Amino acid sequence: MSSSMRTPATAGAAWGDEGEVEVAGGTALEPRHEFTVAAGEWQNLPDAVDDDLMVINMGPQHPSTHGVLRMVLTLDGEQVVDNSPVIGYLHTGIEKNLEFRPWVHGVTFVTRMDYLSPLANELGYCLAVEKLLGITDEVPERASAIRVALNELQRIASHMVWLATSGLELGSTTAMIFGFRERETIIDILEYVTGLRMNHAYIRPGGLSQDVPDDFADRTRKVVAELRNKVDEFEILLSRNPIWLERNTGVGILTAEQCYDLGITGPMLRAAGVAHDLRKAQPHSGYEQYDFDVPIAQSADAYGRYLVRIAEMRESLKIVTQVLDTLPSGPVMVADAKIAWPAQLALGPDGLGNAKSYVSKIMGQSMEALIHHFKLVTEGFVVPPGQVYVPVESPRGELGYHVTSDGTNKPYRVHVRDPSFIAIGSLPVLTHGLLIADVIAAVASVDPVMGGVDR
Amino acid sequence: MPDAVDTSGLDIQLSEQLRALRDHLVEAFPLLEVLGFRGELTLLVTQGDLVELVRFCRDDSDVSCEYLMDLSAVHWPGGEFSDQTHETTGWPTATSQREGRIEVDYLLYSVTHNHRFRIRVDTPDDAPSLPSVSHLYTCANFMERETYDFFGVSFVGHPNLQRIHMPDGWEGHPQRKDYPLGGVEVQYKGATIPPPDERKY
Amino acid sequence: MGLEERLPGGILLTNVERFVGWSRAGSLWPATFGLACCAIEMMTTGAANYDLARFGMEVFRGSPRQADLMIVAGRVSQKMAPIVRNLYDQMADPKWVIAMGVCASSGGMFNNYAIVQGVDHIVPVDMYVPGCPPRPEMLMDGILKLHEQIRNAQLRERPRKGESMQDFRHRTGWTDGEVAVAHAERGAPVPEGYDELPLAGRR
Repeated sequence: MSSSMRTPATAGAAWGDEGEVEVAGGTALEPRHEFTVAAGEWQNLPDAVDDDLMVINMGPQHPSTHGVLRMVLTLDGEQVVDNSPVIGYLHTGIEKNLEFRPWVHGVTFVTRMDYLSPLANELGYCLAVEKLLGITDEVPERASAIRVALNELQRIASHMVWLATSGLELGSTTAMIFGFRERETIIDILEYVTGLRMNHAYIRPGGLSQDVPDDFADRTRKVVAELRNKVDEFEILLSRNPIWLERNTGVGILTAEQCYDLGITGPMLRAAGVAHDLRKAQPHSGYEQYDFDVPIAQSADAYGRYLVRIAEMRESLKIVTQVLDTLPSGPVMVADAKIAWPAQLALGPDGLGNAKSYVSKIMGQSMEALIHHFKLVTEGFVVPPGQVYVPVESPRGELGYHVTSDGTNKPYRVHVRDPSFIAIGSLPVLTHGLLIADVIAAVASVDPVMGGVDR
Repeated sequence: MPDAVDTSGLDIQLSEQLRALRDHLVEAFPLLEVLGFRGELTLLVTQGDLVELVRFCRDDSDVSCEYLMDLSAVHWPGGEFSDQTHETTGWPTATSQREGRIEVDYLLYSVTHNHRFRIRVDTPDDAPSLPSVSHLYTCANFMERETYDFFGVSFVGHPNLQRIHMPDGWEGHPQRKDYPLGGVEVQYKGATIPPPDERKY
Repeated sequence: MGLEERLPGGILLTNVERFVGWSRAGSLWPATFGLACCAIEMMTTGAANYDLARFGMEVFRGSPRQADLMIVAGRVSQKMAPIVRNLYDQMADPKWVIAMGVCASSGGMFNNYAIVQGVDHIVPVDMYVPGCPPRPEMLMDGILKLHEQIRNAQLRERPRKGESMQDFRHRTGWTDGEVAVAHAERGAPVPEGYDELPLAGRR
C-alpha cells in the first residue's frame, strides 16, 4: 500500500507496516523530492531522532516558570538531558544598596527580596542586627511573640501562594482561586497590624515598629479557625486528585544525600525524610516555648513536598493559636533609648503620625528624648564592629543573613543566603531525565521566588 | 577604622560544643587562627590549606559538616585608615596602612552535631583567586559564580566560572567598594537629590 | 493606530471612533509580565476577591502576540530590559502599556546600577500606577482610567481648538496636504495650491 502525500508531515502509515510510505514535498517552483521509505528504515534517514539533541530556551517570560527564570534545556526528544538555569533577570543590587543607608532602612530593602514572605526576611535581618548589637536577650517577649505569630501567618500565606501558582501551572485554576482567596484573609490581618498588604517593614531592629491593635487576637483567632477549614478544602481538592497524583508522584526526586550536597533545606529536605527544622534545631525568638511537630515525607518527590507543605500549614496554625493564648504584655521595643525606634504612632486627624502625647514629650518635657529622636531618625544607631551569621526558617528553607559591621551607622556588607538561589542551583540534578511537563511540575515543587534568587 | 573582627578576646563566649570543636580542628590543622564573636566560631586559614580543611570538615565524623551553607565575600580596600579617633573632634589620632584584601567566608553546618562555624580566607584584592570547593560541595558552584560576578574572585578549578547575576558583557564587579552604586539624580519640583552614594549625610 | 491609513480622507469618523474605542476597551487582554512583588498583586487582582474577569481581562495570555496590554509589574533589571522591549515588539497593534508600581514607573526605591529607572526608557507607557506594590484597587483604577483613554481615543489626529496649521503640522509630522484636509474637516477653507486633497492619516 502506498500513498503519496502532499506534505511530509502527514506521512503516517501504521508503524511496523510492511507497506511503503511516500513522503513528498515541494511547490510548483521546486522539483518534488521523493523519498520512498519502508517501515523500519526510519533510523537510516539522515536526521534520525536518536542523534539529535535539541536545545530549547524556556523563559524568562513564560507563564509557568514561577517568575523570571530562564532554563536552557538540552532535550533528547522530550526528555531533558541537561538543564542550565540562567538567572539574574531580577537582580536589584539590594545587598549593595544596604551599604549606603542606615541600619533601620535596611528593613525596607530586605523585605522586597523574597516577596512572598517579606516578614521572614525582615525577621532574619533584624535578628542579625540585634546579635551584632548584643541585645538579643533584651528584645521584649511581647515583640518576640508577635514576630513568631506574624512569621507563621506569613508561612501559611506563602504556602497558599505556592499552592495557587503550582496548581495553575499544572492546570488547576481552582487551586489558584482558592489559594489567593485564602491569602486575602491573612493579608487582611497583616494589613490591620502593619498597615501594608505586602513588604511591610514592620519588624525593626530591637522589636517592632508599633504595637498590634487591641482586637488583633480576636480577629486572628477567627482567621485561624477559617483557615483550618480551608486547608482541609485544599486537601479535598488535590490530595487524592488523580491528575495531581499522576503529575507529581515520582517527579523531581532529590534524596537526602543529594539535598545535603546541593545545600537544600526546608520543605524539600523534609520531603526527603530528614526532620530538620531550624525552628527546632536552633530556635530564635522564643520558638522553643511552642509545641509543634516537624512534618516529613519519605518519597522525596513533588507529591511529598506538597504533603509536607500542607502539614506545615496546619502546624503553623497550631503555633499561632499558642502564641495568641500566651501573648505577654509589655513594650514592643527594646528599652535602650539609643537603639529603640522612637516613633509612637497614633491615628490623628490627618492620618497616622506621631501621637500628640509623644510630640509634647519630646518638644516640651524631655530634651534627651528629643535628641535621641533626632539622632535616630537622621543618622540612625551605631552598631559595634563584627560579623555574624543568623539563619531563620523561611517557608523555602534556611534564609541566612551574613552581616558585617565596621562600627558606623550603615552596614558594611550584608550577604543574604537565600534558599531559592541554592535551590535553582539544584535544578540540573532535579530535572535530569524528566519530560518537559515534568520539569514544570518539578520546578513548581521547589517553590523558588526569583526576588530572593537574584536579590 | 578598626578591623571588622573583635580579636581582643572580650567576646569569646563559645559554647562547650564549639570549644570542643575548635580544639579538635586546631589539633588537626595547627596553622589555624581562631576567633570568637557573639558565640560564633571563625577559623582563619591560608589559601593552601583551604580545600584540605573543607574536606576534613565534611568527612571527619566529629565535625561532619553536611552543608556548605554560604560562601560570600567582603571587600576591605587598601589605603590609610584611622585606628583611633579623638573622642570629641573625630580627628584620626593613629592611622595605619592596610593592604587591600577580599575576605571570603565559608559557612559550614552540620545536621548530625547541630553546630555551625565559619572558615575565613583572605586574598589580595588586585588579583583575587582561590581554589574552588565545587568538587566537594555542588552548591558551591552557584555561590562561587556569584562571588566571581560581584568581587572578581577567580576560583581555580570551577567548571563554569561565568557571571551569574549581571548581564554577560558587564564590566566591573559591582559589590566591590571601588564600584559606585550607580544611581541617578532624582528631580523634584525646584530641587534635585543626588543618588544615595553621593549624599553628604 | 493601524486603521487610519485605510480610511479615505474627508469622512467623519465620530461614530466609527466610538464603536472602535468601545470594542477595544471591552476586553483588553493582558500579557503575563509579572516580574517581582507587583506580580503577586497583579495575580491577586485577577483572582477571586478583586476580580478582573468583570472587565473581560482575566485571561492573561502567555504569548505576547495574543495580548493587547502589557502590565509591567515589577522592577526591570538591566538584564531584563532587552527582553521587555522584545516582548513589546512582538505584541500586535493596537497595544498599551501600564507601568505598575514605582519600580516600573521610575525605578522606585532602587536607584542603582542594576535597575532601569523607569520602564518608559524602554517602551512607551500609557498609564503609570504608583505604589509599592499598588493595592489591587489601585491597579483596577489605573486599568479603568486606561479604558477611558482607549474609549475616547481619536483614530485620527485633529487640530486642537485654536491651533494653527503650522503647530498642528509640527505636532503630527504630517505633510501640508494632510494637514489641509484635517483643517478642512474642521471647517477651515482649503488653502490655495492644493486642488486635490490627498489621503489623510497618521503615517
